[in-house]
Amino acid sequence: MIGLVYKDCVTLKKQLTTLLMFLVVYGALTVTGVFDVSILGVLVAVMGMTIPMSSVALDDAARWDRYAVATPAGRRGVVAGKYVFTALVIAVSSIFAVVVMVGLSLAGLSEQTLMENIVVALSCAAVTLLLNAIILPFLLKYGAEKARVISMTVFVVIFGGALLLENYWDSGMGLPEIPAGLVQALPVLFCSLTVGAFVVSYFISLGIYNRKEF
Amino acid sequence: MNALEISHLTKDYGTFKLDDVSLTVPGGTIMGLIGENGAGKSTTIKCILDLVRPDAGTIRVFGLDHRKDEKAVKSQIGVVLDESLFHEALTPAQVGKSLRHIYPNWDRRCYEAYLKKFDLPETAPIKSFSRGMKMKLSLATAFAAKPRLLLLDEATAGLDPVVRDEILDEFLEFIQDETHAVLISSHITSDLEKAADYVTYLHHGKVALTGAKDELLDTYGKLICSRSDLDRVDRSLLGGVRVGQFGCEALVKDRRAFARRYPELTVDPITLDEIMVLTEKETVR
Repeated sequence: MIGLVYKDCVTLKKQLTTLLMFLVVYGALTVTGVFDVSILGVLVAVMGMTIPMSSVALDDAARWDRYAVATPAGRRGVVAGKYVFTALVIAVSSIFAVVVMVGLSLAGLSEQTLMENIVVALSCAAVTLLLNAIILPFLLKYGAEKARVISMTVFVVIFGGALLLENYWDSGMGLPEIPAGLVQALPVLFCSLTVGAFVVSYFISLGIYNRKEF
Repeated sequence: MNALEISHLTKDYGTFKLDDVSLTVPGGTIMGLIGENGAGKSTTIKCILDLVRPDAGTIRVFGLDHRKDEKAVKSQIGVVLDESLFHEALTPAQVGKSLRHIYPNWDRRCYEAYLKKFDLPETAPIKSFSRGMKMKLSLATAFAAKPRLLLLDEATAGLDPVVRDEILDEFLEFIQDETHAVLISSHITSDLEKAADYVTYLHHGKVALTGAKDELLDTYGKLICSRSDLDRVDRSLLGGVRVGQFGCEALVKDRRAFARRYPELTVDPITLDEIMVLTEKETVR
């Protein structure tokens, strides 16, 4: 599995470097006040969504899975490798974003508090993990090309739904008040939910991949 | 010990069926898998590698079940498929770094030695390689995995005779160890005539014939005769028949028995290619 993750890192080296450069550039732009610091969280989501998809697209193009499954890594190793790589991309980009955000907060260049910035970065990471939990089984079943449409749909449904909910909430119509204790526990609950969903997604993908023929 | 035992392997795709295929590859030998396009050669190899799931039958590699003991089995198999499946942006050095974490017996020195032997630049991207170089890279990875069984699916297709000869020599060297074996599917039967100890001929998903290559070539023969001669021959002694404007060709199943019965007719030695072509004629007939 380490070999498969290494292969993904090497084949996507250029894309990874470009996106990390984006984080640096956007980090600099937040210093000048062009963007809010929260933009870095969005970049975490962009990296976490596009890189795993690109990795599957490259595997499809090389028909790599046909070889990888024939090695001792087997089907389980291929699926596990993709999940570990995805988690790694999200973790590295989140850490990078958090470091930049903390630096800006400590330098007094951010309007938000240090804790608020960290929560923003971790929330984006959690949402990205959740999106990947939904999309990865489709990616591994249908390949990158077909799964792209599903991915876009999921993205629109989740973010569109969140915006609608926010508007509905702001208008003060119909939604019950959430108890204060639950509001405080929400980040932890949400993170647990996304991690749980990612683990469940792995087993679903494994089931799908076990039935796949090459 | 047998390196590979396939017993009653069946895989039904609806439009094509690999039907009750059984074959054995003893240690220290090369088995050639021949057959026309779509005969089931690749499906057989895919079943061994768990790339497709058989509907019935068993596959044992060095006595181990290919699915129950998947990791142990695949650790002992070196694979070369019909095309290079490494990402074009990778270099041989990066391929080696990746595979050394995948194959438990990976031998870095062996890999580097093969890269050198095959004249493959370690740091050049694979996209700059010719087809021959890509196949050599696949072979280098297969050998560096330190396997006991090499599975090769059309590995020599599209290569020039010099490279093919070089690669066949590697296989012959590989089986000098009695615990090693090679299963190679190929259209290029002349290669198999040179290197294989055993041959299995798959025809429309079934084993048409299997056995020691020398024995097969010694037993089978080719009858070239006139139409009138052909008409008086007992057809049960023949396989496929090709009737042309100037004469007939027929596959003789047992050339010695045939010679005893028809001493006046000449039976020539036959090649694997001719066995395939004439067997196909039998089906058409």
